[in-house]
Amino acid sequence: MIALHQLNRGLMIALILICALWLAIPFTYAVLWSLVDPAEPWTPDNLLPPVMSFYRWEFAWQNSLLQPALLNSYTLAPTAAVMTLILATPTAFALGRYDFPGKETAKLVALLPLVVPGFVTAIFFTSLLYQLGLAQYRFFAILLAHCILFLPFAIRILTVSFEQVRQDHIDAARDLGAHPFARFQVAYWPALKPGVMATLLIVFIQSIEEFAIAYIVGQPGFVTVPTLLYSSLGQDFNRPNAAVLSLILLVPNVILMLILERFLKSANPALASGKG
Amino acid sequence: MRLGRTATILLLLTPGIGLIVFFIGAVIYIAIAQSFGYYNLLGESGYSLEFWETLTGRKAYARSVRYSLYVGFWSAILSVALAYPLALWLRKPFTGSLTVSAILKAPLLVHGIVAAFLFLNVISFHGILNQFMVWTGIFDEPRRLQNDDNAIGLLFLQVWKNMPFALLLLTGAVQAISDDVLHAAQDLGAGAWARFRKVIAPLSVSAMQAALIIIFIGALADFTFQTTIGPTNRQSLAQYMTFFKERGRWNDAAVVGVTLMALSLVGAIVLAAAARLIFRGRLR
Amino acid sequence: MLKKLLSATALVALTTPAFAGGHLSWEQMTEKAQNEEGEVTWFVWYFEDRFREFTQQFTDATGIKVIIPDGDHSTNIDKMIAESGRETGDIDVLAYGVDMLPTIDNALFMSLANLPEDAGRISDLVGIDGGDVALAYWGNQTGIAYDPAKIADEDLPQTPEDFAAFWTANPGAMGFNYENGGSGPSFYMNILRTLSDVDFNDGETSPEKLAGIDGGIAFFNEHAENYEITASNADSLTRLSNGEFTMVAAWEDHMAGLQNIGEIRDDLKFYIPEMGMFGGGNYVSIPKNAPHPAAAQLFVDWLTSAEVQTMFNQQFGTAPMHAEADDSAALVSNAMRERQMPWAKKPFRDAVEERFIEDVIQER
Repeated sequence: MIALHQLNRGLMIALILICALWLAIPFTYAVLWSLVDPAEPWTPDNLLPPVMSFYRWEFAWQNSLLQPALLNSYTLAPTAAVMTLILATPTAFALGRYDFPGKETAKLVALLPLVVPGFVTAIFFTSLLYQLGLAQYRFFAILLAHCILFLPFAIRILTVSFEQVRQDHIDAARDLGAHPFARFQVAYWPALKPGVMATLLIVFIQSIEEFAIAYIVGQPGFVTVPTLLYSSLGQDFNRPNAAVLSLILLVPNVILMLILERFLKSANPALASGKG
Repeated sequence: MRLGRTATILLLLTPGIGLIVFFIGAVIYIAIAQSFGYYNLLGESGYSLEFWETLTGRKAYARSVRYSLYVGFWSAILSVALAYPLALWLRKPFTGSLTVSAILKAPLLVHGIVAAFLFLNVISFHGILNQFMVWTGIFDEPRRLQNDDNAIGLLFLQVWKNMPFALLLLTGAVQAISDDVLHAAQDLGAGAWARFRKVIAPLSVSAMQAALIIIFIGALADFTFQTTIGPTNRQSLAQYMTFFKERGRWNDAAVVGVTLMALSLVGAIVLAAAARLIFRGRLR
Repeated sequence: MLKKLLSATALVALTTPAFAGGHLSWEQMTEKAQNEEGEVTWFVWYFEDRFREFTQQFTDATGIKVIIPDGDHSTNIDKMIAESGRETGDIDVLAYGVDMLPTIDNALFMSLANLPEDAGRISDLVGIDGGDVALAYWGNQTGIAYDPAKIADEDLPQTPEDFAAFWTANPGAMGFNYENGGSGPSFYMNILRTLSDVDFNDGETSPEKLAGIDGGIAFFNEHAENYEITASNADSLTRLSNGEFTMVAAWEDHMAGLQNIGEIRDDLKFYIPEMGMFGGGNYVSIPKNAPHPAAAQLFVDWLTSAEVQTMFNQQFGTAPMHAEADDSAALVSNAMRERQMPWAKKPFRDAVEERFIEDVIQER
């Protein structure tokens, strides 16, 4: 037992060391790059940037599309999360509470958006939009595509939740003369709550991260955080400006991670197993 | 009554599965139709095998298929292989295990592009890695590590980004295995590998399949990592498809798109079947 | 039938004033732009961040807000074409490379004849006539960026043979890209052009014509070990600045622009080899369905003025697109600029690019 304890400690120290190297070195680099003043470039023969200032930070905040990108992403993601939840609930109810022929097939079909690669969906969805002449409604196009893309997660998680609602609780509530709303409150909600929260969170995170659809459908003119990152960090990057953006965008990510960690502790089984 | 029930179920399925079938169906349909010459945005439309014939004869196409399969396969296998020991280690909570799991899951919330950018800084010609290697004398002079031909850097990032996802799926599955089962196996004299092979893997095979498939499809269709840190002498399928799309050649893009879908489907089935066959000894 | 005709005439009558801004004098136009429209959307596919900063001067002078979205070159043009059927589009001013003009239906653009008379403006660049719908606002040139600490001016390679000799003597010291930017393609296409007698200025393509560049393809394969392929224009320059390369293919304006913001070293130099490399520039046009046509014309007038062209030369290192502008800040002399070649014409150029990828890149 003591051996195991020591092993854990040893492993943990090793792991934290590796992660520190992996996280600390690149981020130190990023901080230094973001401080490079336009007066003098930072070349490898200098250990530190020769002239340092906050010029890049001001420039990025004022002249990049950071503000609209944050606004778009953080409008899109919660809307997509709520809409996906609304769209998935009836299907999950049917899959979780009814038995019918073809149910297993239906469950498989629900996974279809996961099998078609995002770039294929994005490109041919754009093609479809052009054919229908709807290419200018970018926000709604991306919203719709995100809902459909992330429906499989929502359906899967909520189906499990509906299966966990106990029939005897519903019956008991009904026998006691509870109103439909009260019945929902006592019999359904306790079982559904973790699933609903998990769905909202997963869709939210997926939507914030999604690149292919936002890039192909949104271009040009509609910018989200990932597309902004790609245009300034992707192939044609300007190192100091890219460093600033990376660092600024870490803030919402760290906050999200804290929420996720808190949440995973409370809703682990429904989220983690992902089994239907 | 029966009819009413069927109607209710269909109605309930419409906003979810109905929408999926309609939307993804339309996407698949347009991709296939365009690859055979229909739905041209400009010029004439009509059935034609020309696009398939010219493209499949290209070296670039064949190479891009092989390359994407390579990236998809190894990303999936390596991520899952790395996630298993970690999931087992974190099965029982211990002091600090929450911190460890938080650190391990951090990549889930760092944008892939940011990771690629930071990674590029570290491995560039005069980056810290090269300077360290030269300083220690392992390298005589700095080496070109970015955009390496075997996509080692790209695989490293794929695994870095996807391993936490596999870990998330596997942790739940591994935690569901009861201690009794594991102790019984241990009492019967099974070593660590035998316990994994005979007990843990078979009992968590569905989570393993899910992780393999989702990572495989994501990496197969990778675009962002490939364009920033991938090899410059070959293109991934998504990159190749975008190459055509940018030149307005939708039919060629469609051929690549259909290929990508077919490979995702076949690859996913093969991986799922292989995992089941290896760890359960049967397909069903 | 009559009803249809009537409504069609009504539509014409209604829409005519919208794009026949010609009835307005320039003062009225300015008035309309400032008081009614108040903003202008410029679609440009590079340096968006810096143009947002730069165009603040226009806003300060006129009170008209300039909106610059992010977007790729081809997607911007696709968008304009896709929404040409709508009565009012999203684009006020569209920027694009000169060589794209022949591929776009010029009837989609508004006439720029109402702009104040200015003989110094340029609407005919590298043999592509912008007529009265397009004006040049950006002159650029591809060439070779080099590190003078590593190679002397008199040793710079000028012909394909010189490049081969340089590669052999200095393996891995030169890099160029084949995608994500036009500098590398300009380099390899000019080698291919010099080593063949195919007419790159004629857009026509055929298998026989493509076979004409066999010699050049063999040339690149023969020396494949000794040159490097980079990921993009910016990747080439960053790695040159960090000392990894001696020479890379580059854009003059891109390089000067990066030097001015301290992204790369300012002792790096630039030249156009004697064999010639492609150059040209970018045009701006106003789509007929621009939402703010008056402000758009005011903006184009400003953008193509001698003052702004001089500032572009100083801040971005462009070749000024106005006869009276000052070009003293350019990286190359006017004598060297004589080596400029017009871009290879499409679709032949696309076919060459595809062949290079297939027969050179895929062989690596």
